Amino acid sequence: MTRTILLAVPVLALASLSTTAASADAQDQELSLGKDVYDRWCAGCHGVDGAGAGPGAATMLPRPRDFTRAQYQVRTTGTGELPTDADIMHVIDVGMPGTAMPGWEDALSRDEREALVAYLKSFSRFFESGPEPTPLEFGSAPSSSEATITEGARLYQEIECWQCHGQAGRGDGSAAATLDDDLGFPNYAADLTRNWLFNGGGAVEDIYRVLRTGLDGTPMPTFSDLIESDIVTDDQLWSLAHYVRSLSPARAPAVREVITATLDESELPSTPDDERWASVQPFYVPLAGQVIVKPRWFSPRVTNIWVRALHDGEDVVLLVSWTDPTQSPSSDPDWASFAQRVVDTMEPKDEGSTWEPGAPDRLVVQFPQTLPSGLERPHFLQGDARRPAYLWSWSSEEDRAVEMVAEGLATGQQQPDENQQLSAVSTWSEGEWRVLFRRPLMTPDIAADLQLPLATAVPIAFQAWDGDNGEAGKQNAVSTWYFLALEEATPATVFMAPVAAFVLTAAFGLGVVARAQRRYTEAEERAGQAGGA
Amino acid sequence: MRLWPSEPFGQTVAILAIAYLLIELGIPYIPPLFGLASAPAPDSVVFQYMLTVLMGVLIWVSDNEERWRAFKRPIQRVLVEEKRKPIRVALLVLVPVLVAFIAFDQARPSLSAPPSFRAIHPAPPGSMTFRDRTIPITGLENPLRHEGRLEAHYEEGKRIYYRNCLVCHGDLLDGQGPYGPAFNPAPLSFQDVGTIQQLTESYVFWRIAKGGAGLPNEGGPWNSAMPAWEEFLTEDEIWTVIIFLYEQADKTPRTWEEVAGSEGGPQ
Amino acid sequence: MFKLPYLRNLVTSSLATAVVMGCGGGDGDGGAEDAGEATAAVMEHPVDAATAGSITGLVIFTGTPSEGDMIDMSEEPACAEVHATPPMRMPAVVGADGGLANVFVHLSEGLDPSLQFPAEEAAVLDQLGCEYVPHVVALSTGQQLTVRNSDPVLHNVNTTPTENRGFNRSQPQVGMEFQTSFPTAEVMIPVRCDVHGWMESYIGVTAHPYHAVTGEDGSFALERLPPGTYTLEAWHELYGTVTQSVVVPESGDVEVMFEFDESMAGRHVPLRPTLIISHERDGRATAVRATQQ
Repeated sequence: MTRTILLAVPVLALASLSTTAASADAQDQELSLGKDVYDRWCAGCHGVDGAGAGPGAATMLPRPRDFTRAQYQVRTTGTGELPTDADIMHVIDVGMPGTAMPGWEDALSRDEREALVAYLKSFSRFFESGPEPTPLEFGSAPSSSEATITEGARLYQEIECWQCHGQAGRGDGSAAATLDDDLGFPNYAADLTRNWLFNGGGAVEDIYRVLRTGLDGTPMPTFSDLIESDIVTDDQLWSLAHYVRSLSPARAPAVREVITATLDESELPSTPDDERWASVQPFYVPLAGQVIVKPRWFSPRVTNIWVRALHDGEDVVLLVSWTDPTQSPSSDPDWASFAQRVVDTMEPKDEGSTWEPGAPDRLVVQFPQTLPSGLERPHFLQGDARRPAYLWSWSSEEDRAVEMVAEGLATGQQQPDENQQLSAVSTWSEGEWRVLFRRPLMTPDIAADLQLPLATAVPIAFQAWDGDNGEAGKQNAVSTWYFLALEEATPATVFMAPVAAFVLTAAFGLGVVARAQRRYTEAEERAGQAGGA
Repeated sequence: MRLWPSEPFGQTVAILAIAYLLIELGIPYIPPLFGLASAPAPDSVVFQYMLTVLMGVLIWVSDNEERWRAFKRPIQRVLVEEKRKPIRVALLVLVPVLVAFIAFDQARPSLSAPPSFRAIHPAPPGSMTFRDRTIPITGLENPLRHEGRLEAHYEEGKRIYYRNCLVCHGDLLDGQGPYGPAFNPAPLSFQDVGTIQQLTESYVFWRIAKGGAGLPNEGGPWNSAMPAWEEFLTEDEIWTVIIFLYEQADKTPRTWEEVAGSEGGPQ
Repeated sequence: MFKLPYLRNLVTSSLATAVVMGCGGGDGDGGAEDAGEATAAVMEHPVDAATAGSITGLVIFTGTPSEGDMIDMSEEPACAEVHATPPMRMPAVVGADGGLANVFVHLSEGLDPSLQFPAEEAAVLDQLGCEYVPHVVALSTGQQLTVRNSDPVLHNVNTTPTENRGFNRSQPQVGMEFQTSFPTAEVMIPVRCDVHGWMESYIGVTAHPYHAVTGEDGSFALERLPPGTYTLEAWHELYGTVTQSVVVPESGDVEVMFEFDESMAGRHVPLRPTLIISHERDGRATAVRATQQ
């Protein structure tokens, strides 16, 4: 019944609480401003009635917050407690990273945001009575060191964070396939290696806060009881926060338009786990749901990939890695039901899903079939009839990659076996796929394959599928065009320039010094002669 | 200890340092104190400003013979005096190394993306087909705007926007929805003055109906992630979304009278 | 660092385990009586013992009860070894004589709301062998509930009430326990462990002590009731709710019987609400959450 609250009810109820007419007036005004702001900017997702089921909600996972339950993920208060006004304000200001919720600090005035806090609270009777929520004591972060990271890693094992988040933190724990939020929607265990997507923020303070408060409404519980039962100390929990923080890069990755394949004339790495990859620069490529043609997909699991590239003048090797909690199809039947639930949950249905249990993971690296002479390229969704795309298509099903030519999404035709010059090696470990592609720069199959020239920006794009997330056919994650550039051996003339610059500048400097000294000596002599005379 | 150097050379160095800090930090951080938007100055601009400051200081220093001599004195000392030999040698090595490094950086071949020339609002055709029906674009008005049910159309447009457009164009209509960063070119921001405010509603209708793939070549149809919405939405639904866009972004569409008054600009 | 408290907790937990095992999984209320920690504040029982009546009853089931599912505990050997027979997820437990267990029975109407009852001893919700013991807990408003982890594995206790505040607390160590209570009557509050998807429990909270959970034989008893006419409600997680009117005689006992049958399956409060997606014209659709009846 609480789901069908009329707007007027909370407004009147809250107003009736106030004791004097003047403050009731001020409250009315604030709530009315809050309602205006809410209806205009928030109701599209959270619904006019605050129940988190606005028109945009069905295309989102996680779903927007249901304010009628007064259950807030990001709080400074204990689990089951109401948030403070400052907590609600904080989320309005900075948004929820990794979700559709943006920050509103710059878009709305302070008065508007304060009125909004008051209005959000009016959706639930829980805010009407009871004491003011009191924030927990957090203290400040002790500094991180090797010892705290080691201690944190030990605690991560001891208190079994891996049950959901997995041994390497990529959200691939054995319990991850059965997670639901409190409203019954499938819930992704957080990938702890990508802190820029953490709901409650990615700083070590944010991580510690979530460990203390939990994320109410989700499967993430509070771990405050460990401190209260004297099982761990506050510092130990901070160590865990430091450890979790250390699983992500120091800074959020930035997008770069050109992926450089470094020239490496020694033998190219032949496996994804070769140690030499550690010293090759990774390029970050964000992916988005395929929302361009029917059937669209609003819940892609692969939201970014990492690309590393090397070549030796003969062959190019491309290492693509990404977080994926399973090797689809997983042997654990819970993952098939997880995928089915994601498919059932996500709108719009357009033409319906083509997913079936057993769907594999897939990755496509896409190029134009021929290098464009002008600006023209194939459409980034696997080209069209006029400008076909040339694909390297890998699937976990056969664990091999094949060359294809496509004239639109999901129209790829595999090239005949005798024309396959591509090879691929893949590994899956602790929630991460690493796929190594290798192809000669030049192939005999000149008409069908893109020939890869040196020192040229070659358009490249990517598509990924997670079978255990209900992805198949046209329902996947996509990128627009990037460029791959194969580094050329640095011509000798390049080294001439600095040498010449050094010699010239040094000669000039020496000249200046010599001249100054000569003049000085002459002046001295003159002064000496004058003095002697 | 005196803070302000008494010698012209020291003063010059101090002035340059202060100017650098002001340019580098002042430009991005001072305007926000007054509620103004700001961005850090690009390196080339910083370099130009610093050059101007240097010229000014040199003019001031050389303006007076006495001051000019005083200014040169510490330089001469470094060049000549025996006890300043270590500084002299260090400068003779470091300056050429720096110059050599810059020269190398300039000469090294760099692999950059080809420049993209893309008309963001290319000229529209005079008419278009919408699901086999021919619709004139020139002179076309939003049929729902003067129906008198603007509020209802706004609500319907909002419903459609949140279901379909939000992931890219965002809550704030600034092109920064959750998928925005994954697409290049970035989704259009309707908040920018150069977008829907400069366009007639019929132009917006054409762009929505035909999407990225329907762009002429100068618009780079192969890059755009904009769907062709005629596949998903009816004519009326697109018109309601257009009403929503202008209302929510607080903009007014360009009228055909304005277009007639200034031939040549984007429609 | 862990050693001392860990040992302490281990000792408490083995005691707890012994107590629960000793009960032999008897009637559903069994768990509620072994806490023995909270000493009740001295307060007169508001019902005169001399004139009070009682209800004794039986809940029976006709038809074929819903079959259970095997629980795959292979990833938690410490839990698997607690079970002598392979663990089953059993939404319906029916005794040899057709008695239905785990039915929450309570007075839903007819009691004078001004009656104040003395505080009761704490009830216990234990986690043992990766299952909740008991499966259904009867609780009065304000009554302490001790939630304990007797397993050497991580559990989280995630409650999802609507009338009370829901919480989600972790218990990563054996022997950990916390106290909680619910201030508002609510039938029922689902409890789940997200780490072990099969673990579920329900807590029934009433504003009075007239509630019971049926044992394996389907029997229950409510004592020391003021004579009068009441509505008695029986709730089962799979078969939903049945009510009947009961007249409690002065200084006497009334016998009642509830019947559930297989046709009522699916009328339960879903622990994980099922999504119902309804499609409108032109592909518009709305997701509606199945709500509590």
